[in-house]
Amino acid sequence: MTEVVAQTAPRASFLTRDRIIKWAPLLVLVFLTLVFPFFEWLEDLQEGKQHLFLVDSRFFSIRNAARILIASTPALMVAIGVTFIILMGSIDLSMEGTVSVCAVIFAFAFISWGGTLASWAWLAIPLALVVGAVLGFINGLVHVRLKIPSFMASLAMGFVGTGFALLLTGGDRIRVEDEIFRSLLTVRWFNFPIMVYVALAMTLLAWFIQSRTTLGRNFYAVGGGEELAHASGLNVTRVRLMGFTLAGVFFAMGALLAVGRIGIAETATGNNFMFISITAVVVGGTALWGGIGGVWNTLVGVLIVNVINNGMVVIGLPSYAQDGVLGLLVIIAVVLSTDRKSVSFVK
Amino acid sequence: MSFIKKFIEQETVSRRNFLLASAFGISGAAAARMFGPSPVQAATYSDPTIAWSYRNRTNPYWNEIVSGGEAFVESLGKSKGDLTHLINEGSSEKSLADVKALLAKTNGELALAIDTNDAPNARPVVESCVEAGAYVSTLWNKTDDLHPWDFGDNYVSHMSWSDEGPAEQTARILLDAIGGKGGVVHLGGIASNNPAIERLAGLKTALLDYPDVELLDAQPADWDTQKANQIMSSFITRYGDEIKGVHCANDTIGYGVLEALRAEGMDIPIVTYDGNPQAVDLVREGRILATVFTNPHWGGGITAALAYHAAIGTFKPSEEPKEHREFYGPTIMVTPDDAAAFKANYIENVPTYDWTDFWGPANGQIQYK
Repeated sequence: MTEVVAQTAPRASFLTRDRIIKWAPLLVLVFLTLVFPFFEWLEDLQEGKQHLFLVDSRFFSIRNAARILIASTPALMVAIGVTFIILMGSIDLSMEGTVSVCAVIFAFAFISWGGTLASWAWLAIPLALVVGAVLGFINGLVHVRLKIPSFMASLAMGFVGTGFALLLTGGDRIRVEDEIFRSLLTVRWFNFPIMVYVALAMTLLAWFIQSRTTLGRNFYAVGGGEELAHASGLNVTRVRLMGFTLAGVFFAMGALLAVGRIGIAETATGNNFMFISITAVVVGGTALWGGIGGVWNTLVGVLIVNVINNGMVVIGLPSYAQDGVLGLLVIIAVVLSTDRKSVSFVK
Repeated sequence: MSFIKKFIEQETVSRRNFLLASAFGISGAAAARMFGPSPVQAATYSDPTIAWSYRNRTNPYWNEIVSGGEAFVESLGKSKGDLTHLINEGSSEKSLADVKALLAKTNGELALAIDTNDAPNARPVVESCVEAGAYVSTLWNKTDDLHPWDFGDNYVSHMSWSDEGPAEQTARILLDAIGGKGGVVHLGGIASNNPAIERLAGLKTALLDYPDVELLDAQPADWDTQKANQIMSSFITRYGDEIKGVHCANDTIGYGVLEALRAEGMDIPIVTYDGNPQAVDLVREGRILATVFTNPHWGGGITAALAYHAAIGTFKPSEEPKEHREFYGPTIMVTPDDAAAFKANYIENVPTYDWTDFWGPANGQIQYK
């Protein structure tokens, strides 16, 4: 009898190319959180002030971390929603309309059902999530049933959403003043407001869906090769529909946190979410062609974009330079963090 | 699809005319000038179409403007729906194309109130209207060399606001409130917008009289609540307690600033601009020190009224003095002392304006620097 001995694989070197690319977004984030304090240190040095690098930094402080996280939470929810879609190799550009509609419907329902979380008005929260799901579902239907590319279908649905939100509000703002609801922003546990923990919980939920459910694995299957997934008996249409619906729920979550942060729901609540969420997903290392990346990448991506936005003001970069610098940093981050060698062409 | 074809043909013809006119040259234009503006008597109409052309209704400011236009139309005994809306969504090309299409549809029997989206677009819009015999009144955007009196009766009027003076007044209220020393920050509108430039200039003028106050930073917040919120948080990181007061270019920015301060448990004076209802409430509660009301409801109504009444022949624009052709809109300062009265007079009851009192609330002839 021959003895079968398990062969250990040859030890991979610690810094493989795969590993570097996998961790590159995080490295970019760490680099950025060190480089902004450096500029701060340099500025104080020129003015002849005593300044210990990092220790005395205003940027590298808990208070500022809380500010960056507050700014990040609504965008993170929206970006996670779109991550699922991008994992499938599709794209969803309906977030601005969906966020506006959910925010406005939430605010109307919340005010008319009592105006405080300590009444039936709490039902406005599940209502907003349902509205998000419905909008996402319609979006998915337009995409898969009418066979319109997701790019165009979702963009169009986004416009419909913005128009609908405008119809509801007539251009007015709705203030949500309830102290209990606003405690999302005003009450802090361990230096961070509650909304940060809510976002963290939702991120964990998204990670669970992505890695521990069939649906999550199907997203990767569709993104990795749709024909193959289809040939293996996967109902691709159904996966897509569920993906868009799920994205809608996360957009609604983003809308709730956006209202929690500003205390105002209006048609403009959804503004700018398209740019920041798509940028964050890509910067985080999720590939636009699908199948690669995930929730943690998106978390890092959102943080990168918000750290840049905050850092540029904190180091006193002139406003006219900020947009240019943001663009350059995004390109650098994408170059570092996505594996483009495996792609034969980029469209 | 014949109407599309017709439109394209018309466009082609007008482009050809334009080329011919260019070839005709400056000498020809100069010769035409000698005979004075439009020798043909402008025709008036019994029931012209009334239209408002603007960006969109998402913005509360434009919403107020257009509601004024609707109030005017209702005062004529018509319904709200009789006001034609041309929505340009921030595109000058769309603005011009819509106007031309409406001119073709109405055969020039049109009273048009318009913000042309940017200043250079005002000339082609006005010239198209004059050529078609329609009556046009402009709001906000036009170039300094374009004047209603150069176009006879058809270019009825232009209204704008000078924001520098009122913004300087709010700045003085702010600087007095912080005791005339310490640091202030400014959050502005889209950097290239004229009101944004004027409102920052107003602050800077006021600062000349307060040598102990330092303008720590001024960043554009693009009239956006969420962007303002983010920038204010970053300012707090950079300057912390050095910030004693905040000068905001409008109310929308102010809301974002207030929430950023609330998140930090900070309470420092801020001033805003525009006099939106919610800002007025905040002034009444003392959370905003001052805002400036520009009465967009009246502005939107009166601009449509001027074009309409010129079109039906109630008055003859060319016989009016220049300060009735180009004038500043009204500005009202709202402070905690008078916020309650202001709210009762202007917000809870939208005043019923006399839409034939064209120049009563206006603020004098527009001055060019």
